[in-house]
Amino acid sequence: MDQSNLLEKRVGVFICHCGTNIGGFLDVEDIEEYTKGLPDVVFTQRNLYTCSEEGLSQIKNGIKEHNLNRVIVASCTPRTHEPLFKRVCSEAGLNPYLFNFVNIREHCSWVHMHERKQATKKAKDLIRMGVARVRLLEPEEDIEIDVEPACLVIGGGIAGLTASTSLAKRGFKVVLVERDATLGGLLRDLYKLYPICEDATNVLEGRKREGESYPNLEILTSSEVKEIKGFVGNYEVTVDIQYPRHGIRIIKVGVIIVATGAKVLIPEGLYGYDGKRIITQLELEKRLKEEREKLKRLNNIVMIQCVGARGDKRAYCSKVCCMVAIKNATLISRLNPEAKIYIIYRDIIQVHGTEYEDYYREARDAGILFVRYHPENEPVVSDEYVKIYDEMLGEDILIPYDLLVLSTPLVSWEDASNLAKMLKVPLDENRFFLEAHVKLRPLDFATDGIYVCGTCHWPVSVPEAVSQALGAAARASIPMANKKVRVESIISEVDKDKCIACGLCASVCPYKAIEIKKTEGGKKAEVISASCKGCGSCGASCPMSAITMHQFTDEQILSQVKAVLP
Amino acid sequence: MTDVINVSELDPRFKYEIAAQPGGENIKACFSCGTCSAGCPVREIDERYNPRRIIRMALLGMKEQVLSSDFIWLCSTCYTCYERCPQDVKLIEVMNVLKNMAVKAGYVPSVMKTQIKLLSDFGRLYEIDEFDNKKREKIGLPRIQMQREEISGIIKLTGLDKL
Repeated sequence: MDQSNLLEKRVGVFICHCGTNIGGFLDVEDIEEYTKGLPDVVFTQRNLYTCSEEGLSQIKNGIKEHNLNRVIVASCTPRTHEPLFKRVCSEAGLNPYLFNFVNIREHCSWVHMHERKQATKKAKDLIRMGVARVRLLEPEEDIEIDVEPACLVIGGGIAGLTASTSLAKRGFKVVLVERDATLGGLLRDLYKLYPICEDATNVLEGRKREGESYPNLEILTSSEVKEIKGFVGNYEVTVDIQYPRHGIRIIKVGVIIVATGAKVLIPEGLYGYDGKRIITQLELEKRLKEEREKLKRLNNIVMIQCVGARGDKRAYCSKVCCMVAIKNATLISRLNPEAKIYIIYRDIIQVHGTEYEDYYREARDAGILFVRYHPENEPVVSDEYVKIYDEMLGEDILIPYDLLVLSTPLVSWEDASNLAKMLKVPLDENRFFLEAHVKLRPLDFATDGIYVCGTCHWPVSVPEAVSQALGAAARASIPMANKKVRVESIISEVDKDKCIACGLCASVCPYKAIEIKKTEGGKKAEVISASCKGCGSCGASCPMSAITMHQFTDEQILSQVKAVLP
Repeated sequence: MTDVINVSELDPRFKYEIAAQPGGENIKACFSCGTCSAGCPVREIDERYNPRRIIRMALLGMKEQVLSSDFIWLCSTCYTCYERCPQDVKLIEVMNVLKNMAVKAGYVPSVMKTQIKLLSDFGRLYEIDEFDNKKREKIGLPRIQMQREEISGIIKLTGLDKL
């Protein structure tokens, strides 16, 4: 389309019924009539579903037939549909930055379902604001950035190892940084893995051997990430290497995978934990590995589930402990079929998937007894017995024990927040790393070019950690394979003449996207376009009004405010 | 039953003994969902009868309590639990195993003894007289012959009369 024509504003507004989602609660015809009278609006159309094939072609036709140079869709949420509508504009020859989204579903019909009149009025207000803004939008181009075809993997447990190997296999350069002296993480302490009782050592050694066979996979043990600078495609990572020789390495990578794992909670002060006769499942794994003869001689084994989990302090379910308990109980019963084994569990036993259900049944068949408790009736542990209220009998039962095993949850590392700060990625309330979207982007962070897998995200079993690692490796290989990434140019720009290099913008920027640099005209703030997420913090803080937010300029925002004020 | 049940005083072999009998094999598969108790028509009338609870007691090893109780004799063999059990515990058959074990251990409720005597005396649980047979004839059904001798013979042979 002829860009010189942009001076004459020709706005087209497409109003979506969203089936009955909008159409059932707002007077859409009335909204359309109203919209026709707004400044520079030359075309309006109502669609049953604007996002349908028909709706999209109506946008394209509208742009072509009415020579539209600004487009508004009033429908659902930009979170799901903005990329689609922008692409359609682009296909019709309109710069996608000249598109404006108005949400009349979440903001009107859904929240004001029972107030048709007022909701309709609100939709008109929002469209009026949208029209005011869209008239002032300027065409922009996406920013294209080169990607360093190398990946940093932080953490050398089964997840990190798997992700590294998978990427190395594809020919990418990979640097795996592990802070311990050896690889393997939690897997080093495990004996057998459920549900097929594979030897944990075999699984780990196999993966290690495979990883070590790739010359393009560099493994740094006894090493820690100290600093991360840069942005997607161009990260500069400082690694502190302790062994064999102390030193600092600067590594350039395009993408980063976080696989730092978790640890098992030590239940100090709970149920008389002493690490000897009252131990954790992880300690039991070690004994199964090294002291099977001693375990064979024990007759009474009791396990308690959800110790230190699903309470006020730690509300979450650690997901793997039920299967771990069933597996370890089964292993003990195989060592000593005469052993009397009780698993005291809370509410339910977590066995999902057919193979785990079978495993649970096998355990019951072996004579392992499952006793349920409720949090208001927790087990009471004395020197000889565990006392538990059996709800089916309606009475307390006393179970003697030679070994009491506490199933404690996987918890995050205390210093997870340090790494999170370095990476500028969020943690959840339990200090686990938080993904960009629980359903649509489960292995990505909101920050481009950084991915997550394994127990640093949430407690998972080995098969799940491996699946996630393979997924994260696949995600991480996309920018590396494309060699370039495109980012939207909704970014800030510094007017060098106005800038006094006070540094306020750099200090408030949550993405480290502004640096103060020496220029010919003295020190000036400079925006790293690829890192900028367009949050606007710098623009709002600048005392000299030297920062412009592209797509959200003061003028554009104020026009919306003026449009909505009576 | 005491207020606290001490597991070390119970018989942990009990569940294996049941599982070793034909029909009792699946008892350990029970995961206490309660489907059996929820659908049981006997339980609707008598709260004391609770199949899930009986299984639980058996699994815990409460051998004496289970075998000496009246509950195991209350099952009406309607097969509702048998059909519905998600773990295929075959409760009716487990109950039969428990009854056999109870009898062997010398626990026979007096009502059972009465029933055995009725069977032995009449060949049926209640006596058929002319009144019944006339009614049958009216609607074209054959007469019922009392088979006292055969039945009492079987009872003698199996030793049921000595319980």
